[in-house]
Amino acid sequence: MPVPDEQSAPFWKAASDHVLTVAKCSKCDQATLPPDLTCPHCHSTAPDFRFVPVEGGARIRTWAVIRRSFLSGFKVPFVLVDAELDAYPDLRLIGQLLDGADAKLSIGAPVVVEFEDLAPGISVPAFRLKVAA
Amino acid sequence: MSGLFKARNEVALVGFAHSKVVRRADRPLGVTAVETARAAIADAGLSVDMIDGFVSSPLLPTSGDHQVEDGVTTVTSAWLSQHIGADPAYAVGFQGIGQLTGSLSIAINAIASGACDYVLFHRALHNPQGGYNDSAMSQARGAMQWAAPQGFFGAMPAIAMAYNEYCQRYGATREAMAHLVVEARKNGARIPWSVWNGKPLTVDQYMAEEMIFEPMCRLDADMPVEGVACFVLTSAERARDLPHRPVYVSGFANGYPRKNRTMIHWTLDDMMEAGDDLSARLWENCGLGPQDIDIPQLYDGFSPFVYIWLESLGFCKRGAAHEFILSGGIDSDRADSLPVMSGGGAIGNGRMHGVPQMLECYLQLSGRAGERQRERATTGLACHSTPHFGGVVVYSNDPG
Repeated sequence: MPVPDEQSAPFWKAASDHVLTVAKCSKCDQATLPPDLTCPHCHSTAPDFRFVPVEGGARIRTWAVIRRSFLSGFKVPFVLVDAELDAYPDLRLIGQLLDGADAKLSIGAPVVVEFEDLAPGISVPAFRLKVAA
Repeated sequence: MSGLFKARNEVALVGFAHSKVVRRADRPLGVTAVETARAAIADAGLSVDMIDGFVSSPLLPTSGDHQVEDGVTTVTSAWLSQHIGADPAYAVGFQGIGQLTGSLSIAINAIASGACDYVLFHRALHNPQGGYNDSAMSQARGAMQWAAPQGFFGAMPAIAMAYNEYCQRYGATREAMAHLVVEARKNGARIPWSVWNGKPLTVDQYMAEEMIFEPMCRLDADMPVEGVACFVLTSAERARDLPHRPVYVSGFANGYPRKNRTMIHWTLDDMMEAGDDLSARLWENCGLGPQDIDIPQLYDGFSPFVYIWLESLGFCKRGAAHEFILSGGIDSDRADSLPVMSGGGAIGNGRMHGVPQMLECYLQLSGRAGERQRERATTGLACHSTPHFGGVVVYSNDPG
């Protein structure tokens, strides 16, 4: 369960509305995820990140099937996906795949970000395979 | 900084000692460390009062819920120097992930600069009770909030994803990895102090193992153990009067992360890009190239790292490491092979971090490898961790 802090609160607030956001540096306007203490692009010590909504389209870079969880509270097996966002290919997001452990995956396969509701007001990003129209 | 290492072949390894590697110890780690350090100092033909430098890296590398206590779960150089009864001028430690090469760099520079005359360099690894990486955390704060809520925790899932990307991109098979792990265990089985002594593995046994982090299985990670290794370093000049053939440091290079990632998200491309950069700096630093290295010892704490090191250091073309291994290219029983796991590595010895790689270089180059001694053993190279957190040290027994 994520515990939002002063910096991350806008991200988790948007997530609870099922909206993905990325952090934009107030100094150089470049996007990053997750936000760091300094801006990873211009290295400003006062990045004052703004969280801006982003389209949930992404492409699978890689994945792994997890059959043993070090953390308690996770039902195995589950698939972890590492995907790059269509809007910001440099940004990689890791989330569970909601299509189950037997889904057929390949590098570059399109996915969309969806949200899993963990508790009232707390949702975490996950992925679902994009079905060809 | 560029060009040759100024202290090239001026710092030497002159002695060592290694405790037995066990799954669980029946006494505190610090006690084993004191005894192993005494043995290493004696092996180098020295006495404790002559040791004026202590260098190490004390990290207990776990994501799990474990207390850290100096002398019990870790051993710092300050603790060791006090408990062995030394009076050092210099007792320091490295804080970071590439522990072995990072701390060794400090030790090498301390001798090269004259900060001290004799360094006792050690690494002590503890295996805590309970699941090594298990955590009962239910609230993810700080950096952890971006990873743990998705079930992304501990190193294995990240390495499994990077390895899967390698497999998908270059067509690597599980059978190729089986050959690597079997090679590590074959050599580890021949090492008296290894936790896997007398316990080799077959390809069929590997293939039958459940992929708990598919495409990785339990056998792709080194097993947590308890053990201590110590080495003594001094200047090449002082090394001349000591009992064993000195093994000189020809150069070294370390790598660092450059990209902002979710914690523990080690991507394949980040490792490969850092590898190319580190490799260029390393070869320039030591004045050698991959074709000059007789005993390359690549880090295998997670087996896929060997592919990355093989390719980054120029032993194989990008994407070709798995085929090279499958065709017997690293078989230490073949005279014409590249024996990258001849020391058993972490998979063949237990989680001693970069110690098995460093020790194999020392044993082969000093002519102390016994039945395992290789005929061609003038230069060696030992890695730890990945190119974007760890490093490489190059050794030679010919100061030129």
